[in-house]
Amino acid sequence: MRGSDRPLVLVVGIGNPDRGDDGVGPVIVRRLKGRVPADVRILECSGDALTLLDEWEGFASVILVDAVAPIGRPGRVHRVDLAKNPLPLAFSPRSTHALGLAEAIELARCLGRLPRFIAAYLVEGEQFETGASLSPVVANAVDDGVAAIITDIPAAWEAWRDHA
Amino acid sequence: MANRTIRVDYIARVEGESSLELHIRNGAVDAVRLSIFEPPRFFEALLRGRGFEEVLDIVARICGICPIAYQMSGVHAIEDALGIEVDPPIRALRRLFYCGEWIQSHSLHIAMLHAPDFFGYPDAIAMARDHGPAVERALALKKTGNELIRLLGGREIHPINARIGGFYRVPSRAELAPVAEALKHAHHQAIDTLRWAAGFPFPGCVRDYEFVALRHPDEYPMNEGRIVSSAGLDIAVADYETEFIERQVPHSTALHSAMKQRGAYLVGPMARYALNRDRLPAEIRALADDVGLEPVCRNPFRSILVRALEVVYACDEALRLIGAYEPPEGPFVRPEPRAAVGYACTEAPRGILYHRYRLDHDGTILDASLVPPTAQNQGVIEEDLREVADGALALKDDALQARCEQSIRNHDPCISCAAHFLKLQVHRA
Repeated sequence: MRGSDRPLVLVVGIGNPDRGDDGVGPVIVRRLKGRVPADVRILECSGDALTLLDEWEGFASVILVDAVAPIGRPGRVHRVDLAKNPLPLAFSPRSTHALGLAEAIELARCLGRLPRFIAAYLVEGEQFETGASLSPVVANAVDDGVAAIITDIPAAWEAWRDHA
Repeated sequence: MANRTIRVDYIARVEGESSLELHIRNGAVDAVRLSIFEPPRFFEALLRGRGFEEVLDIVARICGICPIAYQMSGVHAIEDALGIEVDPPIRALRRLFYCGEWIQSHSLHIAMLHAPDFFGYPDAIAMARDHGPAVERALALKKTGNELIRLLGGREIHPINARIGGFYRVPSRAELAPVAEALKHAHHQAIDTLRWAAGFPFPGCVRDYEFVALRHPDEYPMNEGRIVSSAGLDIAVADYETEFIERQVPHSTALHSAMKQRGAYLVGPMARYALNRDRLPAEIRALADDVGLEPVCRNPFRSILVRALEVVYACDEALRLIGAYEPPEGPFVRPEPRAAVGYACTEAPRGILYHRYRLDHDGTILDASLVPPTAQNQGVIEEDLREVADGALALKDDALQARCEQSIRNHDPCISCAAHFLKLQVHRA
């Protein structure tokens, strides 16, 4: 710990592990356990995106990991700086069902509840079948996602230190 | 006046997928159609052949917003079939569970889905820029409701702790204490939300609904009661299917419900309140009077006030239940299967939710019938649309469309719940 009893960086794996490639977020964050400093808190979220506003309360730095629909190359990992930009339209299907991740992020921005550092790692999925596991092309991308996030942790921590 | 067609391919800020068509011919509304095209999900068929103990886990998947309603109607219907009487603390915990759902579901609808209509915002995000404190209050209320659900259900979406005969695990008094503290704050947040909503500009509209709701001898209804209506209906839940019918309509994957005698009827907060205002505590009735909510509200645009009042009541009722709670001797009564039919109706946030199950001697589900509130309200929603549109024909198309969408959202329809009921017939030559 860096002089604090409280985790400083939050990494959230978003998705349903029982819906094929939708589970890639939780798979990636599970692989992070033991490979990131103790002041990084790991969380999985499979439900209501609005709860993220409460989950990241008090964290200056947040990294989200989620699956997105394919836009050309399943398995490709995109990084989006959400502190500066909204979730790109290609990755934010508008749902008529309550509020999704894009809406939760923009709501937080309007309410001044967006963390100073917030990045999203978005993995293009291939299939989202009920009961299916990760497709091979997405499973092969997990290591890339894990490595990219580990590389990003110091920047997230620096953002917290600058804020503090 | 020229012919006009208003078409909305995807109605936003409702749960599920539906579209609206409004045809105006020679200055009068010619046709109104609320089409539900959410794919059918066949839950009733899915239940057949399953064991009775699987019912609660299956029906909880019908809705991410109101899974407790499905679990409560399911648990009461199966227990009705098996002749199970639960201990008073279990009954109280179930009512507490339901309070959590009313708080979270109503708060989501009030601020995030419905309120933007009254100001002309496209969505809650745009509204949050100008009404941040109101949105923050709604989020806090929703969080408190979710905490109650998580405590009693194990998790807030598709909870897993309810079981036939009780709960797998019941909370201690100490575990309920933190949520009681949150509920004390929620009480004030709910009153502030009600007062905020009372200041909205409400379009004028008076509808001659037949209200249908549960009625309990002592309580504002949640888990049990007789089915009553403003036209004098007063029946046991087991007689539901003798008075109500479900019809298939070509433009919807959801069945339309109707009263066999009188057609369309309204369920939900407006009906509950109109038929059960006298079951509310005096301080809640005084609060209704104070914000100008009439004892029988027939303006659907003012349904948001009834929802807000019910959130205050649910917070207070949850506090009362927690204050009186003594843990039961055991978390559940062990069920013994038998061949029987069971019925139940409970008050989901959106209105009465009817379940019937027929069980074989070993507890296998032989058939099931589930009638959600939105399927029951579809007739009224279309009638509302016709009347609202008729009174707003002078508006330009954009404004008329917005008014019609608002009219649909008045009833907080849960399309996903309603679309479970398509009957599929395969004809083979």
